[in-house]
Amino acid sequence: MLELLQQGFGAVFSLHIMLLMVIGVAVGIVFGAVPGLSATMAVALCLPLTFTMGPQAGLSLLVALFIGATSGGLISAILLKIPGTPSSIATVFDGGPLMEQGHGVKALGVGIVFSFLGTIFSIAALMFIAPQLAKVALRFGPHEYFAIAVFSLTLIATLSAGSMVKGLFAGALGFAVSTVGIAPVEAIRRFTFGVAELNGGFAMLTVMVGMFAVAEIIKLAESGRHAHQSKAQAVSMKNIKGFGFSLKEFREQLPNAGRSGLIGLGIGILPGIGAGTSNLVAYIISKKRAKNPETYGKGNIGGVVASETANNAGIGGAMLPLMTLGIPGDTVTAILLGGFLIHGIQPGPLLFISQGPLVYTIFAALIMSTVLMLFMEFYGLRLFIKLLDVPKHILLPIILVLCVVGAFGLSSRLFDVWSILLFGLLGYLFVKAGMPAAPFIIGFILGPMAETNLRRGLMLSDGNFGAFLSNPIAAAFLGLALVFILWQVVSALRSKKSLVNEILRT
Amino acid sequence: MATTKKKELLIGIAMLGASLGYLLMTIQLPRHNGIDAAFVPSLLSAMLCLLGVLQLLSVRNCTQAVTEYHPDGEAEVAGGSDIKTVVKTLALILGYIALLNPIGFPIMTVIYLYLQFIVLTPLDHRVNHLVYALIAVVTSAITYLLFREAFDLMLPSGLLPF
Repeated sequence: MLELLQQGFGAVFSLHIMLLMVIGVAVGIVFGAVPGLSATMAVALCLPLTFTMGPQAGLSLLVALFIGATSGGLISAILLKIPGTPSSIATVFDGGPLMEQGHGVKALGVGIVFSFLGTIFSIAALMFIAPQLAKVALRFGPHEYFAIAVFSLTLIATLSAGSMVKGLFAGALGFAVSTVGIAPVEAIRRFTFGVAELNGGFAMLTVMVGMFAVAEIIKLAESGRHAHQSKAQAVSMKNIKGFGFSLKEFREQLPNAGRSGLIGLGIGILPGIGAGTSNLVAYIISKKRAKNPETYGKGNIGGVVASETANNAGIGGAMLPLMTLGIPGDTVTAILLGGFLIHGIQPGPLLFISQGPLVYTIFAALIMSTVLMLFMEFYGLRLFIKLLDVPKHILLPIILVLCVVGAFGLSSRLFDVWSILLFGLLGYLFVKAGMPAAPFIIGFILGPMAETNLRRGLMLSDGNFGAFLSNPIAAAFLGLALVFILWQVVSALRSKKSLVNEILRT
Repeated sequence: MATTKKKELLIGIAMLGASLGYLLMTIQLPRHNGIDAAFVPSLLSAMLCLLGVLQLLSVRNCTQAVTEYHPDGEAEVAGGSDIKTVVKTLALILGYIALLNPIGFPIMTVIYLYLQFIVLTPLDHRVNHLVYALIAVVTSAITYLLFREAFDLMLPSGLLPF
């Protein structure tokens, strides 16, 4: 393993890739910091740039963006008191008050350092768990994959925030949209209306760009003209030693960070939910376990530590199912999946055998990007603060142009450009209806996986459903899915409030 | 609260409408014995319809406002929704994509950006035509040349000879 990692670092340390990663982290931090732009958007928009690069360079750029954008959210969370991304909502609770009390630099320093530690922790976990899991997953056939896909689908729909009916509907609708095109196994055209472009179904990237980027522009059109863009306050970096906080404070926060890191990792592994949920869960648990819970929400650095460690620990967590099973852990890794596929690489257990060096290049790129993020975000802070002031009515139209370019670049046809408009409109309607978009995306991606493996599994067992239940791993996952649904239904009947809803309320 | 209820009812109707549309299309799929290509769509249509009905039922039973889901945590903006700007923006995007091929990426991007900047300018901001036009031209040129030269992506050139 060490040898492979060394090779990976060797590849990453080339001038070309290092430069791409520096740009990636910087662009990522900007996307994370500007409210309304997200990690998903950053990776989706830059994916077309990687088409002509090799897989090593391309994937290094994408993971650099992922890490930069996940961490960048803390800048606006602390300076503007608006979370830049959903993953730093809980950072506002204590980061905002700290800023008001004049401890802005301390809050930023704590946030950045623990972002770094959370990411490194999760990458280490990824590096140790992934190869073992891949070995187990190598023995998986269609029965197991079908069961895992079904289990993942039940998870996303029920754990997504807001109304359970709407979450489930969004997931099922995503699955339904994925059935457009030539059916697996049988090759019958479904829902194509004779349009040749629809034979291949909708491209994943057009769905994501539409739902997350184009929808954002339509949303701005609705509210932007009446909104006042808050100006970022300046922070003085004079007389700041290290990262602006003492070693004692650092040591005091370690147990909290460890706990939050585990929460972030665990939630990150589950498909469909990620940093957007884990930062809130970690914050609440940290508050409960703290010696002085009453100071939370009034400027306790523990709150920033919990939120930022957890959201960044989700990175390694989300990468784990992607790399070992080919199942994305969240919306960003869903686009990364597209990035792998464009370069002709199928993520899954075989990745570790057929593309060993590439896997370790990705690990090395993750580690390097994290180190770059630590220094660039803290010492380049003033630059990023300036970028927060770029007016949105200038920024978002330019992003739309980039969306159009990206969609067109997929296969040089206007059909994909029309698709992003269609899904942009759908995404906007989702926002209006209070329906979460993440289940839709995961349904769209996992749906075909469930269907294809169901058909394959049935072919293997001559149309006999029993084979899914007599296979121990498949039966276990299907059982878990059933238990999960029952538990959700029972708790919904009992209190009418889901766990996540409860957390979001507090 | 009455408006929330009405809105949730509308959402329910939209959900059921979409589900029924999908169900109708599924019924028209060719069938054969056993599990076929229409199996999963049938299952999905049933589930979608069920969820649509559940939404409608929950509106009837629910007297309390349903909490809204805000994916990016942005606060609701005072002043409400501005449907006129939404329609203008959609029309601009529609025109942009429709004319992308005949007129070409460079020219259409300049026109789209310039007009979109004006449409989205906040009410308390002054529209600065010169700056807007400059940003539009520079963005269009950089994107077009960068993708054409560095990334080998042949964006439609349209009326321009290069």
